[in-house]
Amino acid sequence: MSIDRRKATIFGAAAAVRVLLFTAFPGLPDLLTARVEVSTPVTSFKRLQEGLFLYNHNVSPYDGGVYHQAPILLPLFSLLPSSAEYPAFTYLLYILVDLLSANALMKIAESGEAGSSKLYTSPRKDKKWSSYAIAAAFLFNPFTIATCVGRPTSVFTTCAIILAISKAVIGSSYASMFALSIASYLSMYPILLFPPLALLCYDRRPKSPQPTSIYTSVLQNILAVGGFIPFLLYMSSLITGSWEFLESTYGVQLLLPDLTPNVGLWWYFFIEMFDSFRSFFLGVFWIHLSSYVFGLTIRVRRQPLIVLTVLLGIFAIFKPYPSISDTSLFIALLPLYRHVFPLMRYSFLASSTILYATLLGPAFYYLWIYAGSGNANFFYAITLVWSLGLSLLVADILFAVLRDELEVERPEMKGKEIRQI
Amino acid sequence: MSSTPTAPAISEAEVKDGKIERGEDAPAHAVSVAPKKKEPPPETPESIRLRLFVILSFWAIVLFLGLPIWWRTTAIYRAKLPLDQMMDWADGRACRPVFPLRISIEADSLQDHEAQHLLRTTQHALDDLNDFSAHHLRLQLSPPANASITVDGLPTGGSDEEVALVIRLLPGTESKADLQSYSPILDVHYTPNQIPSSSSSSSFLATYIANTLREMFAEEQAMISYLLSTSSAPPERSPKALVPEVAESLAKWTTRSIKYSRTYHLTFSLFTPSATPSSWDIEAALEEHMKPLLQSFSSISNFTIDTQVQLYANPGVNGNVLKKEDLSGFINAAEWPLSPSIGGAPTVNFIIYVGDMEVEGGGKSWLIPQWGGVVIQSDISDLRPAMLIFSNQLMSLLGAPESGSLPLRLMTLVRVRSAGLLLKASGTMGSLARLTLALPSISIPKSVADGIYTTIEHLRKACDGLGGTEGLENAIIAEEAAEKAFFEKSMVGQVYFPDEHKIAVYLPLLGPVAVPLVMGVLKEVKAWRKRRRVSR
Repeated sequence: MSIDRRKATIFGAAAAVRVLLFTAFPGLPDLLTARVEVSTPVTSFKRLQEGLFLYNHNVSPYDGGVYHQAPILLPLFSLLPSSAEYPAFTYLLYILVDLLSANALMKIAESGEAGSSKLYTSPRKDKKWSSYAIAAAFLFNPFTIATCVGRPTSVFTTCAIILAISKAVIGSSYASMFALSIASYLSMYPILLFPPLALLCYDRRPKSPQPTSIYTSVLQNILAVGGFIPFLLYMSSLITGSWEFLESTYGVQLLLPDLTPNVGLWWYFFIEMFDSFRSFFLGVFWIHLSSYVFGLTIRVRRQPLIVLTVLLGIFAIFKPYPSISDTSLFIALLPLYRHVFPLMRYSFLASSTILYATLLGPAFYYLWIYAGSGNANFFYAITLVWSLGLSLLVADILFAVLRDELEVERPEMKGKEIRQI
Repeated sequence: MSSTPTAPAISEAEVKDGKIERGEDAPAHAVSVAPKKKEPPPETPESIRLRLFVILSFWAIVLFLGLPIWWRTTAIYRAKLPLDQMMDWADGRACRPVFPLRISIEADSLQDHEAQHLLRTTQHALDDLNDFSAHHLRLQLSPPANASITVDGLPTGGSDEEVALVIRLLPGTESKADLQSYSPILDVHYTPNQIPSSSSSSSFLATYIANTLREMFAEEQAMISYLLSTSSAPPERSPKALVPEVAESLAKWTTRSIKYSRTYHLTFSLFTPSATPSSWDIEAALEEHMKPLLQSFSSISNFTIDTQVQLYANPGVNGNVLKKEDLSGFINAAEWPLSPSIGGAPTVNFIIYVGDMEVEGGGKSWLIPQWGGVVIQSDISDLRPAMLIFSNQLMSLLGAPESGSLPLRLMTLVRVRSAGLLLKASGTMGSLARLTLALPSISIPKSVADGIYTTIEHLRKACDGLGGTEGLENAIIAEEAAEKAFFEKSMVGQVYFPDEHKIAVYLPLLGPVAVPLVMGVLKEVKAWRKRRRVSR
């Protein structure tokens, strides 16, 4: 019973903090909604309101060219009372989604997948944080809180991804694939998580009398995703009455017509791009984003969860419209690897770089947009620093995990310096 | 272009892999007591295989996704153009502009054999006089039954039957030629003794008709030969050099006339320096004096008309006598609401200014080249004189010749315009062909190729039907299509993008990305060969 009380305390406190922020600072939600670090063209709550308004007036929500989010959010939000008049319901929904994510995260932590997967058991696996600590680290992360208060729709993607992983670690592959389909449907890029997630499902499949081969399992998962996503798309076409949403949602992610600044690297690059090379470099950027998937999955085959974590980190840096919401998802999964933290070499550098960028980013944005004393390069420079910090973190955690694997393979290497030849 | 963020991230990840995988040699270094170099312990086959797969997975994406995307997105679409044909047209090889003018002789009063003989001798005399093969007058005897083939205005019918002029031979007391004003008929009166005898090879009447015809078509001939000489036709085809005075007057004619358009917009404006007169009877005047003229133009161009009255309008120049150099400043462009071309159609302005100034040297009206005409008139109760002047100015502005009767002038205009448009479209195609040859890196969209084929098709038709209204219609279509193809917007985007610049575009990002990929493969190949050597 006491365990439940700890969980209740953490969740209650997290909810209380959010409610306090919503009520004590009524201007805060709208302020954060307008921040480019929180809202991107494909997740913005403001744009959702626009789409919702059009939808409720029986106009195609994609007509204005403002709304680029999945159609299924529209009936969901039109069920809620208007957020302008009764914002409390919207707030509650977002708080609930956060708690749901935290709950799923706790399940992942409790499964112990991070320390000992089917094919690999870390010698350091006992040195881990409790699931409460991990949930608390997620819930009280300022990025998570800012995301919740800013209400971008990326929280639904975050929740779906964490749910997919939490279902995968208990071996219920169809539930996991369904959650992944929802996440992919909402934001498209999570479909790239399929290979490691399918492997995770395979590794953690429930014991059955007759052995399933890995190919059958993966094929089943492919079929599941291949069934769920077209179903969701078909439902969407019923909701909006046409297929034009495909172009306005996924087309925008693929072709990047909206170059609103964000914390990512694409917008500045494509502002500067020659028009004739634009489509080529769009291809290059997307290939770059997806090229890591198979390499990492093969290399760290024994620990699919770290592949998922590292991939989420890579997506938070290199996806077309990243925001701090993606970073908060990556940082939520990091504490699962508490046991390899001692092997990380640049944790101080990485965390201070991220902190530096977090503090200076808004300042430089202000200088550029409001004060007019800076230019776009100011903000772009700080997003480069931000991406550098995240890259360091991603590379470092990967290094630590691989080092951990090496020490199992070659115990005499423990604690020795390694060098490249 | 900033590629910095991506490139290090890749190489870093790769290097990390490398570090770990090559970490096996570390014990050799770490535990070695002696400083001598020791070989790293052999890698397990499993780790070799793993590394191979990782490298393969990256390369598979590069080869199977990257290359097709590169190919698809950077390929320049170049529609195939009929370059040879285009150059043929531009050089005048494809079409030899010939204007066969049929002139029909009506000689009801003559015997058939007499008429035949007259025809032959006249034709002979004409051919002797003519030195310009492109413009060819051909005589024919009109059968008596269809004596009245002409209708009001332009003759109708296909180009084959189109008759440019009918000569009516009428017996009379003295020999004289009489051109009818409103139909293309030339009455030639002759005295009975002028009928050529069948034995003589020439006669006074034949020479007389030939000279008259030549005089009538001299201006048109000069115009067409001027057009051909200014085009890029091969020199052997271009006519002999024109007399300097004629060339000068033709150069003036070119600068005066407005660029051809299917539709012109006419604006009639009344400007008055005071509050009166505030109205004019323009509608009736237009109906009576302008509309018939515009009607007869209908096979060449269409016209839209608007009118306006402007009170308290001061001209740009004051004084009772306007000097020649004042005339250009007379139009008060800053204050008078004379809009430039509305829509696509060029505007022709006609202005009546209420006043009693006079142009130095007499006259109260003048023409502004490619713009319109001005008439100064103190009393606007009678608009007829002004309208007649405007009609004349309009003819001039549209490029009609100055002499001849109205139907003849219109037909000449048709021929001259079709020749001009034909040459212009051909020239445009030549420019386009040279452009595509000179810049191999510009894209040629399909619409351009379609436009070129349309142009060639209509040029061919225009060339075949030169001289008639159908030829003009085809020449118009050809010219429009050629212009549209030449000024296609998407063609010019990459005009100045040489291949060297592409390196600057690709290298900053793709270079750093390629290094770890290529190095990975090279190292792997090296290691594989080493292993094979050892195992042998």
